[in-house]
Amino acid sequence: MPNRSFLQDFNKGLWQENPVSRQLLGMCSTLAITNALINGVAMGLAVSFVLIFSSLLVSLLRKIIPNQVRIASYIVVIATFVTMADRFLAASFPAISKSLGPYVPLIVVNCIILGRAEAFASKNTVGRSLVDALGMCLGYILALLILSSIREILGSGTWLGYRVLGTWFEPWIIMILPPGAFITLGLLIAFANQIERKIKLRR
Amino acid sequence: MRLSSRMIVVLTSIGLLSGSLLVSVNFLTRDRIALNKKQEIEEAITRVVPGTQASQKLYEEKEFAVYTGKNDAGDTLGFAIQITAAGFQDKISLIVGTNPSLNKITSLFILDQKETPGLGAKISSYDLFLRFWEDKDCSVPLRLRKPAVQTPEQLSSSEVNTITGATVSSESVLNCVNSSLEKARKLKAEGKFRIEEKSAE
Repeated sequence: MPNRSFLQDFNKGLWQENPVSRQLLGMCSTLAITNALINGVAMGLAVSFVLIFSSLLVSLLRKIIPNQVRIASYIVVIATFVTMADRFLAASFPAISKSLGPYVPLIVVNCIILGRAEAFASKNTVGRSLVDALGMCLGYILALLILSSIREILGSGTWLGYRVLGTWFEPWIIMILPPGAFITLGLLIAFANQIERKIKLRR
Repeated sequence: MRLSSRMIVVLTSIGLLSGSLLVSVNFLTRDRIALNKKQEIEEAITRVVPGTQASQKLYEEKEFAVYTGKNDAGDTLGFAIQITAAGFQDKISLIVGTNPSLNKITSLFILDQKETPGLGAKISSYDLFLRFWEDKDCSVPLRLRKPAVQTPEQLSSSEVNTITGATVSSESVLNCVNSSLEKARKLKAEGKFRIEEKSAE
């Protein structure tokens, strides 16, 4: 049943194998850039671009690349797409490129991408790899949206730059500093685990 | 094909492909990125030297540059000095606007900084920090006012405000500005750059 498995490939990125809340991959940039929603969105899109295209290419080349040099080949492929994304951001969205700073070039070493290339794209067809990458991207973007929304609202009193909490609200500066990232991420993972446990019990 | 030669062929061709792809991407975006940088500086000059219609680079060295701002008639309205120096986390790059005789600051603008979000990063905010830098007498080195005050009127003519909780960032900006002014005055006295004749008279 190819349709069913396509759907499974897609869905697992959203919940069961969500890169942030379940696999805990790519934590460094996740923690660093979620201090404002706009950064989370930009980072999510940049990672998605790289993930989708490198998954495609890796699965296309999976029979050509000798096993011994596969990691080196994947990294070259990934680094190429990352550099393209970085240059594109710098040319078209200089403000976002500036606020993401070194975290766009650092997508090269983001474990989500190498992880999907090694664990999935190198063993599966182009179509399945694409669906898998799309699911992972969506899961990653969702997690970033939740994290960065919570942190921006509590840490700056704004959402996407618009003030949502009145002037009575004294921003919790800690939420946009590194400790706030750890606290929010910890709570998010705890919450995800709790839901997972409930689901398992029901089965 | 033997395994070793296959590895060489595959890696080389992937490398070549990626290299040529990157060359074309760089070719497509290079001009745009340079233009963005230039526009950013020009916008900053217009902001710190009010009324500027055209700007011109007069002097440049590593992490330091002097620009003039001119109006439509070609009169020099003032200088914009760009400097990059150490902040609390990383380098702070800022641009300070002065009058033509380099003894009054018209205003200040932060081009780039990576200070602590929520604390030192306030140096980029006009309401919280930069408005306390407008129209300052800089014939003597500027000083920080600590503890911080609420309105610019509470500061003396050569005092600037501190950000509560970010004294190091505030001091870094102050040091940047003071040293850039000193340097600009020295360079001007040495004749390394000068205002064009028309407005000097």
